[in-house]
Amino acid sequence: MGATASQLDKGMLSEYQELTYLTKQEILLAHKRFSELVPKEEIDRINCRIPMNLVLTLPELKSNPFNERICKVFSTSDSHDGSLNFDDFLDLLSAFSDSATLEIKSHYAFRIFDFDDDGTLGRHDLEKLVNCLTGGTDDTNLTPEEMRQLIDNILEESDIDKDGTVNLSEFQHVISRSPDFVSSFKIVL
Amino acid sequence: MKELVSMSTLEQTRAIRELTRSFEEKKRIRNKVLAFRSVKKSHEFTWFAELSENASLFFRRCGYTMRSARQALELWHGVMKEIGGKFGSSVLTYFMFLKWLLLFNIFSFVVNFSFITVPLLVYDPNITSSVHFRGLELLTGAGYFTHTVMYYGAYSNETLQHGVEYNLQLAYFFTIAVYMVLCGITLIFSMASSFKKNFVLVDPASTSAWQLLCSWDFSVTSEKTVTQRKNNLRVQLKESLSEKAQKELLTLPEKLKRFGIHLGSWLVSTALVVGCAVSIFFLCQYEGKLFSQWGPGAASLQQEAETLLVPFVVSLLNLVIPLFFSLFNKLEHYSNKRSQIYTLVIRNVFLRMSVLGVLCYYWMNEVSLRAPSQCWESMVGQALYRLVIFDFLFLMLGSFFGEFLRNVIGTKLHRRLGSPEFDVARNVLDLIYAQTLAWIGIYFSPLLPSIQILKFLILFYLKKVSLTQNCQPPRRTGRAAQMQTIFIFLLFFPFFVGAISIVGYTAWSLNPSQNCGPFRGLNQTFSVVEVWIDGLQSLPGSGWAVWIYENIIRSELFYFLVTLIILGITYVFYQLIQGRKELIGLLKQRIVNEGKDKSYLLDKLQNLHMSRPKKDTRQSKDGRNSHQPSLSGHSDAVRQALLARQQAEQEEATYSDGVSVPADISTSSALMQAMLARQKAERENEDYYQRAEDPPSSFSALSLAMEARQRAEGEMLQENYRKEHFYENPTTASSAVSQVMQARLRAEESSAVMQVMQARQQAEQEAGMQWTDVQLQNQAVSSSSAVAQALQARLRAEEESPASSVMMQVMQARQQAEQEAGMQWAHVQPQNPAAVGSSALIQAMLARQQAQNEYDDGY
Repeated sequence: MGATASQLDKGMLSEYQELTYLTKQEILLAHKRFSELVPKEEIDRINCRIPMNLVLTLPELKSNPFNERICKVFSTSDSHDGSLNFDDFLDLLSAFSDSATLEIKSHYAFRIFDFDDDGTLGRHDLEKLVNCLTGGTDDTNLTPEEMRQLIDNILEESDIDKDGTVNLSEFQHVISRSPDFVSSFKIVL
Repeated sequence: MKELVSMSTLEQTRAIRELTRSFEEKKRIRNKVLAFRSVKKSHEFTWFAELSENASLFFRRCGYTMRSARQALELWHGVMKEIGGKFGSSVLTYFMFLKWLLLFNIFSFVVNFSFITVPLLVYDPNITSSVHFRGLELLTGAGYFTHTVMYYGAYSNETLQHGVEYNLQLAYFFTIAVYMVLCGITLIFSMASSFKKNFVLVDPASTSAWQLLCSWDFSVTSEKTVTQRKNNLRVQLKESLSEKAQKELLTLPEKLKRFGIHLGSWLVSTALVVGCAVSIFFLCQYEGKLFSQWGPGAASLQQEAETLLVPFVVSLLNLVIPLFFSLFNKLEHYSNKRSQIYTLVIRNVFLRMSVLGVLCYYWMNEVSLRAPSQCWESMVGQALYRLVIFDFLFLMLGSFFGEFLRNVIGTKLHRRLGSPEFDVARNVLDLIYAQTLAWIGIYFSPLLPSIQILKFLILFYLKKVSLTQNCQPPRRTGRAAQMQTIFIFLLFFPFFVGAISIVGYTAWSLNPSQNCGPFRGLNQTFSVVEVWIDGLQSLPGSGWAVWIYENIIRSELFYFLVTLIILGITYVFYQLIQGRKELIGLLKQRIVNEGKDKSYLLDKLQNLHMSRPKKDTRQSKDGRNSHQPSLSGHSDAVRQALLARQQAEQEEATYSDGVSVPADISTSSALMQAMLARQKAERENEDYYQRAEDPPSSFSALSLAMEARQRAEGEMLQENYRKEHFYENPTTASSAVSQVMQARLRAEESSAVMQVMQARQQAEQEAGMQWTDVQLQNQAVSSSSAVAQALQARLRAEEESPASSVMMQVMQARQQAEQEAGMQWAHVQPQNPAAVGSSALIQAMLARQQAQNEYDDGY
């Protein structure tokens, strides 16, 4: 399983094509970019992982406020350290590609926003989300009162069953009503 | 898994790809499926199966290659990515739109060139102009260009006879007609699809949720932009919060003042527009007078330069007046950004429309009647050419002054101003205006699209450079996709419809020039079709074409009927929409209700868990409560019943003693049974407390009861879990009703949640049925011999009173009862009684709760 970092054989390539939304060029490009990140001494190891801090040096992810969450969500590492192997990396690109369905995109967006991994977006998650999106210095940040009001607004609008959290289906409901999402939830190498 | 195996290869690939699992898991699933398939195939191995498998593999590979190739061919892929990365998707909209229009023009150019120009060039390759090229023609389009294929006048009305007949008249007419119709259809379809996607589904109420949950542009890669966006978003959020708080505080004088400003700026802008239109009209007339003083023959250089006056003024007005509009816009106070943008757009559209309208009026009514010796279509074509060129020049000037100079001033002189923002709306309107000119001009100057292609190509790079060098990303990001829809709509509604009606008017009502052009000698352009049909009538075998022409194209009745049918269909759809809106409202209400029920039940469950040590008091309290709220409506009754059921369950699991419920299951609803069961349970409870004098023994019995209950619940849970999985397979166990519901929902493209809810409800219904089973089984248990045994056991236990023996006895009794229950279960299952109508709701609630828990755990 997995690819050696130095080359991609043909069967592997077609398998990747079949299992992701990426085209051949995109996979090759991804592979190239990935190999550049792999440390020298590990380049021949099968299925090697890149640690999160290296992944985050990619310009596509570097300035993204959710970059760490993205790595953590797509990482299959057992220690949950956000390191990615090539399969994870392709998975990430596939979910963020143009042709991925709304279903997939919203699923991953939900997991990215679900900071505490408890399966729902509670007040705590939303607060973190707002902080990520507006982040900055302390003096310009939202006041606790504003934050509370904002989160109230979000919950009022999207929490359909009024249980105080936004679950996956409610989230997908909101997403399905905002056509921009598909075009903005996109990372292209 | 089974589903996957049974799917076709294509579907299977898609289904696996759509799994939201990690890559490795997907790979594993795929390998499993493939292995399963190959095993299956080895049983029924034929050359045909292998062949089809290979073929499908081949086609799939082809599909991948095509996809890759298409992506590689896509115009400006890298540039678009760069722009999107720096400025976000709303600015990208402009460039997408530009690209789209460019494709329109390329198509139009190819069509016109190959069907109109090439035949003419083949027929008469040496159209030479009497005038020498002087350079100014590039601006005026007159002089040297006048007699080239650029304009209408140079085209011939003859029929080519190179082996095949090629009627240039018909070619000219049909090429342009077909192009216009194709444009219209494309516009309508893209408008409809984008409207459906971006407007119908959009919920106007959810702004702040949208802002936070979906507005982040993951494609943005530049650090600076990210911080800028964060700041913008924060400001926006603060503003919207304070606006919400402020809204009620607005006093009457303030309102009046705002209204006054709105009214004033509308008045002023309307006056400006009217002034522009009138001045252009008089300018045109003045120019006409100048032209009529020209002698025959070639115009002098100065005279030619004078023709540039009108396009210059028109383009200048188009550049300057919108600036005034933007100024008004700054003065006015709008409650939200969107209405502000829309007002600006409406005013600009109004301006462009009236300018174009006046020009067209002038061309149609004055130019076309003026000079019978000259070719008026070519003159109009030249005028349009000049407008297109000047529009282009002014667009360049606009981006130079508006963006470059503004940037220099903003960054060097007035730091406070900063870099200018890229105004998507204004720029897109410029594009729309330019495209309208090309559409109007297509009849008068068939090769105008070539100029347009050049113009758009240059504009693309110019704007890109100007954007990256001078501008900052827009401070507020509206809903980009919605704006795009509005732009397409604008392109269609006033502009394309206007252009097509002008071309249509020209073709139907105006006299073509008598000495030039393909339609010389005819009264109207359209009569070319009549002549053609007349010619066809003499030919055998073309009767159908004549019949279609006489009975469909020329009959008012046909159009009347078509209109009626379309109106009818529209009405039906309108009604459907209303109905579905109502349905959606109801479903939403239902979700809210269920959510309430869920939270109530969760509370209840928690309370039960908490109060477990002091269960006896709790139960008695419940018992007291149960009598009071039964008046207060259905929902209370439901809750009570639920409670009752839980209690009954407990009782039953613990004691299994002699609760002989009437076995008349088919008639009495589950609710009734639950109520009954509860009452019995209560009675039993009291009984038990009365009879069991020994406190320790009762206590241990109770704890046993708890244990048993937990176990029973666990079993139930497992059962439910299994059932749920089972029901995921839609073909096996979905009831007709829920399928119909689903289909309807899918048809109306209601949201994912609705469907999910629906699916869940379906599952609930099934679960409800299953619960009914369980109850039946309980009933059966209670009426079976197990009951009697348990009773005996208990009686014995009571007689023997010491604590330990009671425990033992109860244990035994319970085990027996459980065994019996197992047997009973086997009996009852095959019968599978019908769902018990309304009362299934309660059970469904419980089942759903459990399903939810399951789901949460799974997640």
